[in-house]
Amino acid sequence: MNRRYDVVVIGGGPAGLGAALAALDAGTESVLVVEREPEAGGILRQCIHSGFGLHHFKEELTGPEYAERFVQKAIDRDIDVVPNAYVTGLALDSDDTRLVRVLSERDGLSTIECSSVVLAMGCRERTRGAIRIPGSRPAGVLTAGLAQKMVNMMGYLPGRRIAILGSGDIGLIMARRLVLEGCDVVGVFEILPYSNGLTRNVVQCLDDYGIPLHLSTTVAEIHGRDRVEAITVAPVGADLQPDMSKAWRETCDTLLLSIGLIPENELSQSIGANLDLVTGGPIVSSSMETSLPGVFACGNVLHVHDLVDFVTEEALRAGRFAGQWARGVRRPPDTVSLVPGRNVRYSVPHTLSPDRPHTIYLRCKERMQPCVLRVGDLINKKLSFVVPAEMIRLKIRPSLLDNFYGDRLTIDIDPRD
Amino acid sequence: MATETTSYTCISCPIGCPLQLEHEVDTIREVAGNNCDRGAKYARQEFTDPRRSFSTTIPIAGALHRRLPVRLSEPVPKDRILEAAQRIHLLSAEAPIRCGEVLLRDLLSIDGIDVVACRTMLPLE
Ligand SMILES: Cc1cc2nc3c(=O)[nH]c(=O)nc-3n(C[C@H](O)[C@H](O)[C@H](O)COP(=O)(O)OP(=O)(O)OC[C@H]3O[C@@H](n4cnc5c(N)ncnc54)[C@H](O)[C@@H]3O)c2cc1C
Ligand code: SF4
Repeated sequence: MNRRYDVVVIGGGPAGLGAALAALDAGTESVLVVEREPEAGGILRQCIHSGFGLHHFKEELTGPEYAERFVQKAIDRDIDVVPNAYVTGLALDSDDTRLVRVLSERDGLSTIECSSVVLAMGCRERTRGAIRIPGSRPAGVLTAGLAQKMVNMMGYLPGRRIAILGSGDIGLIMARRLVLEGCDVVGVFEILPYSNGLTRNVVQCLDDYGIPLHLSTTVAEIHGRDRVEAITVAPVGADLQPDMSKAWRETCDTLLLSIGLIPENELSQSIGANLDLVTGGPIVSSSMETSLPGVFACGNVLHVHDLVDFVTEEALRAGRFAGQWARGVRRPPDTVSLVPGRNVRYSVPHTLSPDRPHTIYLRCKERMQPCVLRVGDLINKKLSFVVPAEMIRLKIRPSLLDNFYGDRLTIDIDPRD
Repeated sequence: MATETTSYTCISCPIGCPLQLEHEVDTIREVAGNNCDRGAKYARQEFTDPRRSFSTTIPIAGALHRRLPVRLSEPVPKDRILEAAQRIHLLSAEAPIRCGEVLLRDLLSIDGIDVVACRTMLPLE
């Protein structure tokens, strides 16, 4: 690790590695990737199921295989990756230099100078505190992602008889995974009337193994003093409150929470980047630049993606702009703001510039089928269906914005027959 | 002869189309509900010989982590998944292992189904 780099990337997952490679492609001389784990690769190292890479590599890979391709490219291109190192802060020097404070196992606390920074810290899981289940606080309550890491990397089983709260994809995938490891999975309990995960995962992870999915049902209480012994589950009404007259008890020693992911943004917040309240990630321009000049963001730290292929696509863009910035390229500010409208929960990036092609990522609020996606009067796209679990990706050609002189475009999703 | 309909959900891509397969006893007449050809193929396969692939892990000695992720080169018959997983769990490895290395050939004596390492694990220095 040197004292000075053109670009410093925080986080060595697919987003960070993709951004580092693209920054080099943009003509920078030196790129540093800071990773807090003992090796690069990010969360995909524990996602051992397949389904990754269909867009980017045109073949179906497991998570570790996808990650390894990027780790290998970083090695081939001589990118400095410091493992066991944590970025604790970021400051702007008077002469346009950015100072990154790194705490590393090998070198202790050091300050690295650079021209631009890419935030690629990924996301973390919502925990029990975020939804507050009543009852005691025994061992055996953990997030599905932590269980995934224990089973797939560390070689421990979280328990023998497992209940899962929330039907996110990670929970569904862990249900199958734990059955293959010889555990009993008593059921998946979802408070909403539909699954939060993809239908294919309900079919191939639950139905195939006879694991029940209880919709409109929640965990009302956790029992056990030292270790989970049972849970009380109850159906919920339209107000999402449990109806205790219909409650029942499920014996289990473990409760996995699969209740969603949130961008890891303590650092972004502490350095003063403006955050989007809906995504939980920074607000970015069409060059993936945050409200802090020369600080870019991509991947799950920006908004939670369901496909790593789109993380890579976004990272290549962020890395290219960060690299150009380091080489002195300064772009005029974007002139068009992009605003989520009817049935659109969020869209990223937050602004557009008329002179370039754009890729927009968005999520709907609720399932709609069939429907039409509108971007102002410029785009009118028929879609067979939209679901919140699946991100929508939309390309905008520069010619579309040629005759657009406004400063605001609203995205709507409306039903059609 | 009477035509019967069996319903499936296509798992070949995230859309998850509901499929209906019409058949007379063992003879497939028609597949409906699919958005693309993969769905029709899936329904036919599901009707005649349902198969699934899966990943699991085996213990590895001398590496950074204690488990090595492995996958199947081809899907196994659906009703033999648990048997296949149990057989794989008898395996163990030692670093170094290269991504793509075959750890067991012809799983459950089925030709061409191999157990393959999904990542490289170098020995600890
Ligand atoms: C538990 C879990 C399971 C998932 N399963 C799937 C799946 O099955 N399929 C799928 O397509 N997607 C899945 N995802 C989403 C998946 O994370 C993305 O597809 C992709 O891995 C995101 O890449 P990333 O680089 O943005 O984040 P990550 O892969 O999370 O990488 C971020 C990296 O930044 C490091 N880091 C964070 N903060 C700091 C800091 N301050 N200093 C230094 N380093 C730091 C972390 O250690 C990590 O290695 C899952 C996510 C989670 C959390
Ligand atoms: S039929 Fe085609 S589009 Fe529909 S789920 Fe299957 S693969 Fe996807």
